[in-house]
Parts: sequence; C-alpha cells; structure tokens
Amino acid sequence: MSSSSLLSSQSAISHKDKVAALAPDNFTWHGYSALETQWRVERLLSRYVACIDDDALEHWPEFFVAEGCRYEIITRENVERGMPLALVFCNSQGMLVDRIVSLREANIYPQRWYRHIVSNVLIQAVAEDHLEVHSHYVVLQTRRNGQTSIFSAGKYKDRIVFQNGELKFAEKRVVGDTHSIDTLLVSPI
Amino acid sequence: MSSQCSDNYTGKAPAVWPAKVNQIPKEVFGDEALFEEELKKIFYGDCWHVVGHFAEIPNAGDFKTFDLGRVPLLISRGKDNQVRVFFNSCTHRGNQLEVATSGNRKEFECPYHRWLFSLEGALTACPGSKEFAPDFKQENFGLMEVKSAQFMGIIFVTMGKNTPPLTEWLGEIVPPTLSTLLGGDGRLKLLGYQKVRYDSNWKGYNDNDGYHAPMLHTAFRLLNWQGGTTGFQRMTKNGHVVFEAELKAIQNNGFVNDPSLVEFKGSDPAKGSRIVQFFPATVMVKHLDIINLRFAMARSHDVTEVHYAYFAHEDDDEAMIQHRIRQSSNLLGPCGMISMEDAAIFQRIHIGNQTPGFAEFQKGVTSLSEIPMDVKQNDETGNLPRWEHYRKVMGFKREGEK
Ligand code: FES
Ligand SMILES: [Fe+2]
Repeated sequence: MSSSSLLSSQSAISHKDKVAALAPDNFTWHGYSALETQWRVERLLSRYVACIDDDALEHWPEFFVAEGCRYEIITRENVERGMPLALVFCNSQGMLVDRIVSLREANIYPQRWYRHIVSNVLIQAVAEDHLEVHSHYVVLQTRRNGQTSIFSAGKYKDRIVFQNGELKFAEKRVVGDTHSIDTLLVSPI
Repeated sequence: MSSQCSDNYTGKAPAVWPAKVNQIPKEVFGDEALFEEELKKIFYGDCWHVVGHFAEIPNAGDFKTFDLGRVPLLISRGKDNQVRVFFNSCTHRGNQLEVATSGNRKEFECPYHRWLFSLEGALTACPGSKEFAPDFKQENFGLMEVKSAQFMGIIFVTMGKNTPPLTEWLGEIVPPTLSTLLGGDGRLKLLGYQKVRYDSNWKGYNDNDGYHAPMLHTAFRLLNWQGGTTGFQRMTKNGHVVFEAELKAIQNNGFVNDPSLVEFKGSDPAKGSRIVQFFPATVMVKHLDIINLRFAMARSHDVTEVHYAYFAHEDDDEAMIQHRIRQSSNLLGPCGMISMEDAAIFQRIHIGNQTPGFAEFQKGVTSLSEIPMDVKQNDETGNLPRWEHYRKVMGFKREGEK
C-alpha cells in the first residue's frame, strides 16, 4: 500500500492547495452573504484562539461538532512526504476532552503562555453543508523567564459546518511548517 | 541537616569520581569541554551508533541525512537495493552534498562544481577534469563510506578503529527484546516523525527516556494501568539496558472518554511494553501497538535533538495501520498525553544539575562499591552499569583507584 493512500483514507480535506482555490465573490450560505460568512468564519477563528490563549481549554472541545469531528496537528514535513503520523490526532470529541483532562490532571510541564496570531483567512470552497477555509497561524510562546519565541508557524485547514445556528469545526487540520518541537507540545494549536 | 558543598563549584567535571558507585558528579551534564572529549571518545570512538532504520528509506534512491556529533552522514539506498552510509561531503572541496533531511534522488549532485555521485557513491561526472591535477583518477573520488552494520534493519555506524563486531557489541541480552520490539523481524513501514529539540545534555536524555512510568506518569495511574508482574530489567556491561513488561488491558475507570485509544489490537499484552536503551544515546520503545525508534543526536553539551520515528509492520492490514497511527499520534513522545513529562524532566535535570554535588541513585542500591548487574524491574540501579561504562570509556578514575 502506498503512503499517499494512507493519507487520503484519513482526511476529507483536499491536499491540492498548490494553486489556491477560491470561493466565488458572491454566494449565500445558510442565508448569509459572502461577506457575512467571511466575518462569521473570522469570528469563529478569533474565538477559538482566544479560548486557547486565555486558558479556557475546558471549552475548547465545544468548537467542534459533537459527532465525527477530526482534529489533527501534523508537520508539513510528514504531509509532503506522504506520511500520516501526527503530533496530535483526535477523531472523536471524547478524545478532545481526554487531551484537556490529561493536560489539567496528569501532565507535568513548565507553565508557559501561548499567543496565537491568525491571518489570511481564505474561504476556498463553499458547499451546501460545509466551508473549506484556510488561514495562517503563528503561535508565540512566552516562557517563565519572560522570553518570547515562535513556537509554531503554519496553516489551518478547516472544514466548517453550520449547526444549530452556529459555526463549528467538523475538521481542523493544523499543518505546522515548524517541525522541530521546542521541548514538548501540550496545548492545542 | 542539609548537605554541604565544601569546595568551590567550578562547573568542570572532576577527573576522579567518588568511590560510591551510586553518585554521579553533576558537572558531567553541563561541562562544555567535556562534550568535546565525548565526541572523540564516544561518538567518534569505538562504539556503534544508531543512525536509522531500513524502513525509513524503503526504495532505491531514498536517502536520509543524520549528524553523528558534528559529522554529517548521508544514508542512501542504491539501485542495487543496498543501504550505504557515506560522509555527507563532496570529495572535491568538501562541500556538504545533501541538505534535505530525507527524500528520493536519482543521483547526488554537488552544486559547487557539479560533481555527480551515484546512489552507490561512485563519482560519475566531474566537468572539466582534463585540467585536473596529473594524478587525478575519477575512480578514486567516490564518496567516503562509513563503516556500518545492521540488525533487523537498524543501521549502526562506527568511526572507531577498534570497535568490536556489532553482534558482540549488542551482546546476548539485547537481541531478543529488540526483535519483539521490532515486530519480530524488523519488517517495518515508516508512519512518520515527531522531531524535538531538548535543552538537555544527551546523557540526561538517555538516562531518563527509559522506564520510569510508575513514578512519573500520573496518566498511567489515572488510567488504572497496572503493569504485570512478569517484567524485568537487564543490563549489559557496555551500557545497554532492556526492559520487558506485561501490560494488562485497561480497566476503564471513567478517566478516559474514548478508551479505544489505549486498546491492544495487534500485539499480545504479555509483550505489551519493550524498551531498549542503547549506549550511548538511542532509545527504542514498543508500547501497546506503538513501535517507536528515537534517533538521538547530541548537538552540544546542552542540546539534544531527537527524531521520534514511528512505524507500522509490513503485514498490517488497513485497520491496524489506522490504529497504530492513532496511538502513535497521541500517547508517547513529546506530544503524548501519557508521557510528555519526560521532556519537562530532561530540561529540569539539565538545569538542576548545574550545581555542586552528585546526582544520586537510591532505589535498588544494595552495595556502594559493586556495580549491580541484577536489579528489579523498577530499580533506578539499572542505569549504573551504563554510567560505569561511560566512566571507563572517558577515562575517569574512582577515588582510591590507581
Ligand atoms: S566542492 Fe563539490 S564539486 Fe567542488
Ligand atoms: Fe516516560
């Protein structure tokens, strides 16, 4: 079995982003105009990173659909070589919760602050039941000694759905350009 | 009463170690000059060093690069399917030949003056050679090969002149555990990497990336995850340590919402946990259905880079591969929810040991003068033969020793 089929059997998100696809200028999605959809997507992303940076991680799983969600942090190096191994890979909301419980109750790690910067939010495809959205992220890390460094830079590849009047992540794939981890990765990105 | 430091602290490793075998001078972790000596005596010396596994480069033309100390290596699979290890250096002016960490090539081309090397290391083209020195012969300028050997696909290299044969160096204890760890035959399939940089001396890394689960990892206890009673820890005189432990399938006590993550699908729980810690730096682990080879690179006295490579077995079906990917992506290593403490510990060991005195081994110590070769599964003393071997290789004396 080839490793590329390993990969495609896993993810619903297309990997053909060498040429950026783009949604049409005008569309309506669940009654929202293109502009309003863009604004709602950006608000979702802003709330998502605020949840992590403000250490409200108990609420982090709520950003995902209850059934069949997928969250993954994977390095660009692994992706480009067709290797499926991730740094974090959850395919149930229970797993998302387990990550947070583990972080709170079990894991020992030096306290540090994270600061996410998200930009270049691009709706790449619009379907009846979902949006495909790419954006860029940088995570700054401030250690206890007060020094700030770049912990990870990369791209969010999200599949966003409309559920009970809200936008949720059905799938969030964090593809990190950074593939040399500084000591450990405990928080979601 | 607190213990006292009598001499001035210099941060320099002492030439004479205490007579007590359970005391390691802390300075060995932070002494920059000592690292240079270690490069000569250990990394460039008469030791075998793990640099990869065949499964990382399964096809002709696949290569990976690796640094042994500061020496850049190029590991290539030729058209003849042979794996060879070269110095990653053009034989003309010494330019670093390959810069990628891994990939696939038809040949290796040096960008400087366009010398071209085959996957098997031969110099196949060198433009303008008519004007080269009178004694130039193309066939004499193939890539320089490093002495290598393999065990079940694990690639070992040595630059020493008097390194014993690999089988002798592995001894009798290592191969059986290693073979179970490698799925019985080493026919592995690479799933991918997690690469980490630890702010830690390589000895602190190797000393602590082994078996300490019961104490350090709360997640094990929260999961109510008890090891069986049939496990053991064995050591070789030249510094390797192996662990075998049974893992009982988890009793779900409600701690995990999705217990499918910690199931056994393929392997026998009786063979649940296997660890091999090679002297000097590499650690390999099999836990549940995870096969994880940790290729360690000592970068300096205070930085160790480790490439955690994860594998499936060639005979796995699709469901098993997906299960291994899921376990491998979540449990062990620097992002693993049950063992990420290791990383934090390596760094704290490194910082905390820049102080006077000794790093002490206590649990399982029965003699202060004899190196224990027979220890219990969770004793700390399993690390002592490795320290003793290190001491001897480095030429440190013990108090009272001539
Ligand atoms: S240094 Fe490589 S071709 Fe000259
Ligand atoms: Fe551990």
